[in-house]
Amino acid sequence: MLTLHQAGLTTTPTIAPLDGTIRPGELLAIVGPNGAGKSTLLSMLSGFRPAELGELRLDEKSLNEWPIAELANRRALVAQQELPGFDWQTDELVSLGSNPSKSLVAALLDDLDLTHLAKRSVLSLSGGERQRVMIARGACQLLSRCSSTAKDGGILLLDEPTSALDIGQQQRLMRQLCGWAAQHRMAIVCVLHDLNLASTYADRVWLLHQGQRIDHGLPKQVLNPATIAKIYAAELQHIEGSPQGKPLLALAP
Amino acid sequence: MIALPNTDRFRVWLPVSRTTRVLVGLTAALLLALGWSAASGALGISPWGVLRGQADPLSVQVWWQLRLPRLLLGVAVGAMLAGSGAAMQGLFRNPLADPTLLGLASGAGLFVAVWIVLFQDSGAGSLYGQFAAGFLGALCVCLIVFGIAKRQGGGSAAVMTLLLAGLAINTLAGAGGGVLAFIASDEQLRQLSLWGMGTLTNALWRTTALALVLIAAALWLLMRSARELDLLQLGEATAHAAGLDASRLKRRVVVATSLGVGLCVALTGVIGFLGLLVPHCLRLWLGPGHRLLLPASMIGGALLLVVADTLARTVAAPAEIPVGLLTSLLGGPYFLYLLMRRNRAC
Repeated sequence: MLTLHQAGLTTTPTIAPLDGTIRPGELLAIVGPNGAGKSTLLSMLSGFRPAELGELRLDEKSLNEWPIAELANRRALVAQQELPGFDWQTDELVSLGSNPSKSLVAALLDDLDLTHLAKRSVLSLSGGERQRVMIARGACQLLSRCSSTAKDGGILLLDEPTSALDIGQQQRLMRQLCGWAAQHRMAIVCVLHDLNLASTYADRVWLLHQGQRIDHGLPKQVLNPATIAKIYAAELQHIEGSPQGKPLLALAP
Repeated sequence: MIALPNTDRFRVWLPVSRTTRVLVGLTAALLLALGWSAASGALGISPWGVLRGQADPLSVQVWWQLRLPRLLLGVAVGAMLAGSGAAMQGLFRNPLADPTLLGLASGAGLFVAVWIVLFQDSGAGSLYGQFAAGFLGALCVCLIVFGIAKRQGGGSAAVMTLLLAGLAINTLAGAGGGVLAFIASDEQLRQLSLWGMGTLTNALWRTTALALVLIAAALWLLMRSARELDLLQLGEATAHAAGLDASRLKRRVVVATSLGVGLCVALTGVIGFLGLLVPHCLRLWLGPGHRLLLPASMIGGALLLVVADTLARTVAAPAEIPVGLLTSLLGGPYFLYLLMRRNRAC
């Protein structure tokens, strides 16, 4: 469990102090317009940019006091797309950062529809395929390093994990993330641009604007058309929500 | 891509891991090259004869005092240059990075040139002085580069700044070398230009022994960084989340590299292309994992330099070609060829 106590950043890009809790087994979506500070917030949650105001506590211990190596047992990060420096083979790259069993790697590749690419060089893959490889790597780090020590599945931080995926792959990935959250009691934090994905799959949503968290709560409370239209400066048209009562947003022509 | 032997083919009849097969194979090749090199030279000496005490005193003297330290120095310098090239490329996540790129080699070179031109006449311990000058030069460049990098913070901008700082230092060292050449006496000029082309001629036991110990320590530091260099390939933020302390890794690799390379430059001058060529070729063959790439580069670099040095002293015997000239002559065109092949494949 990760808790924020008035945690924030004062050097640009800034994050206004905020409180919050990220619980095992939930999927939290971070949404907001371009430049709202979503990636910066993720960076702070990961500990890469230590909080300059307040503090973050992971399992009741301040994030700054965790040794880097031990922290890697409890949380993993999948950053926005960055080309790996050299020509790794897919299954080698998935294993980087942990010492996974062959069966775990095989299972993860299968989960993300990558089995046929296991022996391919990563630089020869398409953007969407490479994105799924990096997500598999993050999950692999947590699943292989977490099981030995923990009471829950740790925290998986993902920065726009669906940005290069087609809608079929988006659905499979989001379902997979929900599956990991439920099965391993993993906390999953996703920066998302697609508000309908957040609405459909997230348990809770944080809405960011200009480095401030404007609103947080259940998707149907946070993602109401009036707020979203104002924050994103977009003109929306109303569509009926899904049968499950999840709000859906569409752009006006 | 270039067709290189696929070692997996041997798995059927050699039931050991690929890492072991590759390293044992390279070591065997290095030992063969050492045997050949020990037997070749202006003076035909059989190493077996010397070891069994059947050679004439002159041969024994030449072999023990000149040829053997030279062989060992070749192994150490080759391993250091290629190993530090592989580590630098990992650190910058760029297959074209190299200690010469950061300015370490030219910084060391400038300090050694200053020593030769301005201080060497004072006589006392000239070889150790040269040695210390190279050491100091690389260390200074290392500190300057680090100072700049620290002010920049993390991220890819810092890497770009490092490379630009290296460029500036290379230019500065080049200009400094020009000024020194201008004020040097004829004798110093000859010494400078011979040393500047890179040669293993200066191998003497008293310097070689110390160099071997220090280079072994630097290589050990690099080997310990292999797993962390792998992690760094994920990008700094992701690598941090995977448990990597990137600043500690950078410190360790840059210090090991600058000390080792400073030593190499002081002893042998600038021997080009080993740090770039050897890891590059091996990466095409073995993949980018540093746990195999680093030791393979070290052995491969030693192998290449021993072979090149043997050619350098036998092709035009009794005259000698500076080995740095030879590696650049062979390595430069091959590297251009590799680049052209790569671009066509993309």
